[in-house]
Amino acid sequence: MRDFRAAATIPLRQRLWNPEARLAYLLLAPAVILLLGFMIYPVVYVFLISLFRTNKLAQLKEFAGLKNFVYQFTDKEFWQITARSLYWTAIAVAVKAVLGMIVALLLNVKYAGRKVARMLFIVPWASAVPISSILWRWVYHPEYGLLNATLKATGLWANPPTWLGMPLPAFTACIWVDIWIGIPFMALVFLAGMQAISEDLYESASLDGVNGLQKFFYITLPGIRHLVLIATLLSCLWTFNDFNTIYILTRGGPAGATDILITKLYKNAFEFLKFSPAAVMAVVTFFILTGLAIAYARIYFRQEQGQ
Amino acid sequence: MRKRILWILVLVLLLAGGLVWAQKAKVTFFWALYDGLTEEYRASLQDAFMAANPSIDVDIVPIQWDLMQEKMTTSVAGGQPPELCVIGTRWLLDLMSTDSVLEVDKVVSKKTLDNIAAGAMEAKIQGKLMGLPIAAGARIMTVNNDITRVVPKTMEELRAEAKRVSKPPQTYGLIMPGKKHTELTDFCYYLYAAGGDYFAKNADGSWGKAVFNNPAGVKALQFMVDMATKDKITQEGYLGLTRMDSHPIFYEGRAAYVMIGAWVESAMKQANSKFKAQYVQIPPFAGQKPASLIITDSIAIFKKARYTKEAGQFLDFFYQDQWKAKFDELVGFPPVTVSAAKLPQFQSPLYQALGQAAMTAKGWPLIEEWAEVSDIIWDANVKAFLGQMSPKAALDEAAAKVNRARGM
Repeated sequence: MRDFRAAATIPLRQRLWNPEARLAYLLLAPAVILLLGFMIYPVVYVFLISLFRTNKLAQLKEFAGLKNFVYQFTDKEFWQITARSLYWTAIAVAVKAVLGMIVALLLNVKYAGRKVARMLFIVPWASAVPISSILWRWVYHPEYGLLNATLKATGLWANPPTWLGMPLPAFTACIWVDIWIGIPFMALVFLAGMQAISEDLYESASLDGVNGLQKFFYITLPGIRHLVLIATLLSCLWTFNDFNTIYILTRGGPAGATDILITKLYKNAFEFLKFSPAAVMAVVTFFILTGLAIAYARIYFRQEQGQ
Repeated sequence: MRKRILWILVLVLLLAGGLVWAQKAKVTFFWALYDGLTEEYRASLQDAFMAANPSIDVDIVPIQWDLMQEKMTTSVAGGQPPELCVIGTRWLLDLMSTDSVLEVDKVVSKKTLDNIAAGAMEAKIQGKLMGLPIAAGARIMTVNNDITRVVPKTMEELRAEAKRVSKPPQTYGLIMPGKKHTELTDFCYYLYAAGGDYFAKNADGSWGKAVFNNPAGVKALQFMVDMATKDKITQEGYLGLTRMDSHPIFYEGRAAYVMIGAWVESAMKQANSKFKAQYVQIPPFAGQKPASLIITDSIAIFKKARYTKEAGQFLDFFYQDQWKAKFDELVGFPPVTVSAAKLPQFQSPLYQALGQAAMTAKGWPLIEEWAEVSDIIWDANVKAFLGQMSPKAALDEAAAKVNRARGM
């Protein structure tokens, strides 16, 4: 306590600029410079681009105020794409969470070959997303694809759709690939949480005559609640920005039916060289994801305080 | 101690400065990976130039065509452009608007330029040659003679014959990609064959408002939709197949006709095609004159690059018949140099057909927003194929979007 009082009497300048503080600044400097150069500067520049007219090289040319935003916000297609981005994320994350939970429960049961099963489950997540997406593009190929060939050969579906060529099948096909890639992450995180729950709880519950479903809802789920929150938040951020899957499978087609903000943003910036609309989309994405992260953080910390 | 540190610093700076000064000139070339082009050729060109010019290094960087524009844009925007880059000639307008490209005749020798065919100089804009043509090819039609020997004189005849021979899924009448790919070639074949165009021509020669939704455009798209959905003579799952996905079906010998470019022969060779192919003109609609599409690519030289003079030396080397003719042969494009065009390997039926097509072919409209325009029209095509809109409604909607995007 005395130390704090003594520190408070030292002038601010001396507190911030003494040999110890200087060493701290020196040690922090590389990280701060990297952060400023590679994270803060691009974000600030994107905000600036959204307020300016630019040339084809993204150089600022003329201040436009909110005109770029107004142009986008009065475009029906922009709202369709934003809505699609939201339900793309909601559906994909929900399915990943449910299937991830089921897989985690299966991997948590003791049986021979469990380690091999765990390793195999990681494969989709451990593979590079572009490679997985290219593989799935071949699976969906209407002429030589494994999926349609199997559906026809087994008689399950005599006339399967052109998966990547029609709006609903294309959206379903894309979202399935995103889910397929994302399940292992969810499963592994949930599994890690499940393994940290004491066996004693399950044993005493069994003695009390609690069934499996009740154990899941009253022991497992509350025990991994925090991990579920964090994993779904991270998954939301990644899924909302899942460019690779959609771009490789459909490039946002057919007729824009699978375009989400990130793919449209890319097209505007790097195919049409229209950087201002792309920046507006990036800003909107930034606010949506920041809002999501804040909401999650509030829920998380409220729960922490409640404990 | 301080003095010693200072001396060391000065020495390091001098050494670094000396190293920079003594560094060899290095020409970086963003090299498009055309079908048929081999790694062996790229490496041998690079090595041969450096052996002939020991004071210059050249780095030929192979890049997928689909990624080229992005790679080039980010390099230029980042202030680190390559000396040379293969571009779609239509990109030049964007590059010129940012004053990024150098006039070719400032660094390439007169001898090389005099050897380029005048018809290939699409990159001559406002009297200045802003790109050196690397490839120029009109589109033609290839017929699988094992399926049919009929060479249609009109689109209507083509449709009738394709319908006659089509026995899906073993044999298709015609290959028609229905999934968006880099170029809007397919709609263009039918639009030009119907006597249509993309934009009205203003009095000053510039391109005005969209006209691809006029009767010629609607006729073209309706024709495509009918062949695909009513006659069902195109390859199965055409909506999910791009040009790259669908052309192999033709190379396999399972389709009677395909509208394609100069690479057809080398691609068929690579695919080990067994059937007899005949190269003919894309037919016009009845009552129209033949009009194919011609596409040119160029090499741009970037103003802000460090070694533009050396880049010019490299181009002079590359455009000798020994190298350029071999390049043309590999990628299958008709030569853009006068001397190579006389070589025996370019007198085959394929090159004769390409030469004939070039006589009446039209290029893309040179406008800055072409990439976006092309994307919008592709979407209109797909909406019509899917039956979401009639061809007329889809093209009208697209025309309105295009005019808005171009600020008209």
